[in-house]
This record gives sequence, C-alpha cells and structure tokens, in this order.
Amino acid sequence: MTDELLVVRAQLGDRAALAELVARWRVPVWTYVRRMLDAERADDVSQEIWLAVIRGLPRLREPARFAPWLFTIARRSVTDRLRGQYAREHEHAHESLAAGDVTVDDPVDAAVDRAELVSLLSGLPMPEREILVLFYLQDLSVEDCAQICEIPAGTVKSRLNRARRLLRSHLEEKGYRP
Amino acid sequence: MTEEPRLSAREMIERLEPALSRARRVRAVTSLLSGLSGTAFLTALWGGEPGPLPGRTQVMFALLTVVCLAWAGYGGWLLMCRVPLFATDRVVAAWIALAASLATTAALAALAVQRGTGLGPVLAVGGLFVPATLVLAVLAHARRRALLRRARELTRPPMSGN
Repeated sequence: MTDELLVVRAQLGDRAALAELVARWRVPVWTYVRRMLDAERADDVSQEIWLAVIRGLPRLREPARFAPWLFTIARRSVTDRLRGQYAREHEHAHESLAAGDVTVDDPVDAAVDRAELVSLLSGLPMPEREILVLFYLQDLSVEDCAQICEIPAGTVKSRLNRARRLLRSHLEEKGYRP
Repeated sequence: MTEEPRLSAREMIERLEPALSRARRVRAVTSLLSGLSGTAFLTALWGGEPGPLPGRTQVMFALLTVVCLAWAGYGGWLLMCRVPLFATDRVVAAWIALAASLATTAALAALAVQRGTGLGPVLAVGGLFVPATLVLAVLAHARRRALLRRARELTRPPMSGN
C-alpha cells in the first residue's frame, strides 16, 4: 500500500491506516531526530513530532507529499529543541564568563552526537548535517529538502557540496584515502 | 553500533492514544455547541425582557453568558489545536451542529411566542447559525467524498497499456 493511500485512509479516520503510517515512518523520523539530537531527547522529540502529525493530518491537502510535510514538522521540532538548548547554553556561558570561568563548551559540540555511527556526521555543522541526513539517509529529493528547510534548491545543492567536501576532509584526517 | 528508537510502533500509538480518543472529540464538539447554543439562548432571553431588569439580574445574565462563551472558546480551542477531527468525524460533527442549531432556534422561537416578544431576533440568530452549519455539513461531505474517490483511485489496479 502506498504512503498516499495510507494518508488518505488515515484522513478518513481509519485507525489501522494511521497505525501503519506510524509504524512505517517511525524509524526514519527517529533516525533524522537522532542525527540532530542526543539519544535521550530523540524519543521525546519523536513523540512530539507524531503528536503534531496526528493533529495536522486532517488539514494535509496533498497526501502524495506526506514525506516532505512530515520532515518539515520534524525539522521544526528539532529546531525548537536546539534553539532552547542554545539559549540555555548561551546563558550558562555568560554566567561562567562572569564567574571568571573561561572553559566554555562550544554549544554545537554539546549538541552533536557521540555515537560511533554518527561520528562523521556529528562533525559537520548543523545546516550541512541536516541536508545530508535528508538527502542521503531519507532519500528525499533536492526539491523536498528545499521545502523542508525553507531554502532555495540552489542553497540545498551548495550545502550538499560543502557537506561532501567537509566529509571528505574529515575522512582524510582519520586516515582514509580514496 | 546500530541504534533504534526505544519505543516500538505499538508503544508510540499507545502514547498518541489520548489525542485520538473518541471521548475527547465528543467533549470538544459538545463544549463548542453547548457553549454557542447557551450564548444564543441567554442573549435572546436577556434581550427579550419586556421591562428593565434589576442590576443583580443583569449581572447574572452577563456572567452566565461569559460562562457559555468560555465553554464555546474551550471547545473551539480543543478542535483547532488539540483534537484532530478526521473527515468522517467532521461529517458527524457538522450534522450534530446543524441539529443543535435547529433545536436552539426552535427553542428560542417557542420562548419568544410564549412571552409574546418578537420573532425577529430569534430568526436573525437562527438565520446565522443554521446556514453556517449547513455549509459546514456540505463542505465536510464534499471533503469526505473527495478522499473516498482518491482512495478508490489509488486502490484500483493500474490500467494495462495498449
């Protein structure tokens, strides 16, 4: 059964179709969130995302474009979490500086993943990491990535190029040679 | 290392259950409709009083109207932000709304006739609510029909080429 049919049935009120939709997209959504946040928050944020999806599903006008819509919601939730975290860390950094403590953690470093699987991705800045996850791990098109990230398609391509360059240099630093 | 979400699909659905519960949807629709009907009823009653009312009675009318408006606001907020109404739910909700509008208008008309006040304000209120709910019902049916048609198209096996 296609995603579009599942979405249409779910919009009609078919609970089984809704459950199937959650089962099908649960791992991709969680994987996206996990690449952007730590494991502890990934579950909470995934649940928030699904709650927003269920609330917004009756208003989705293009069921065929479920995936970009889903990741737009996911991105918004992740961004909200990161924004809150940066604000807290920024505040903490100011307090530490005021107290004479100069060993302030980089907020981006604090946000990145430590797991081996994502060690390479976690070395990339957020905008490039996000585009890589959406384009390569979720198999979304450049146009869909552009819609999700609310940027022009040209910017998606330039971020992808920059992300590939950064990944290559990180791999070379670790001793990998093409 | 392969990581996986801690929650299984079933656990995730269970956690989403409160947002999908029928009781919550019924509560939302009931709050909105009873709040609106109550407001219309009280306003008609208040406005149709033949003589000047004592201050205390005026305050009571105002308070009750505010309570009804608060219920209507709560129901509206639930429906807009908290409880998803799927296409079939919307059809049911629209018919309930239409029935509630007709019942409120009939009750107000009966009250106006009994008290000998004019039917004008009652018909004005009914003329506002009944067509509005009728439009909602027509739109809900159209949306459901469109979704059913799309589901049939997607279920139909593709036509083989020539």
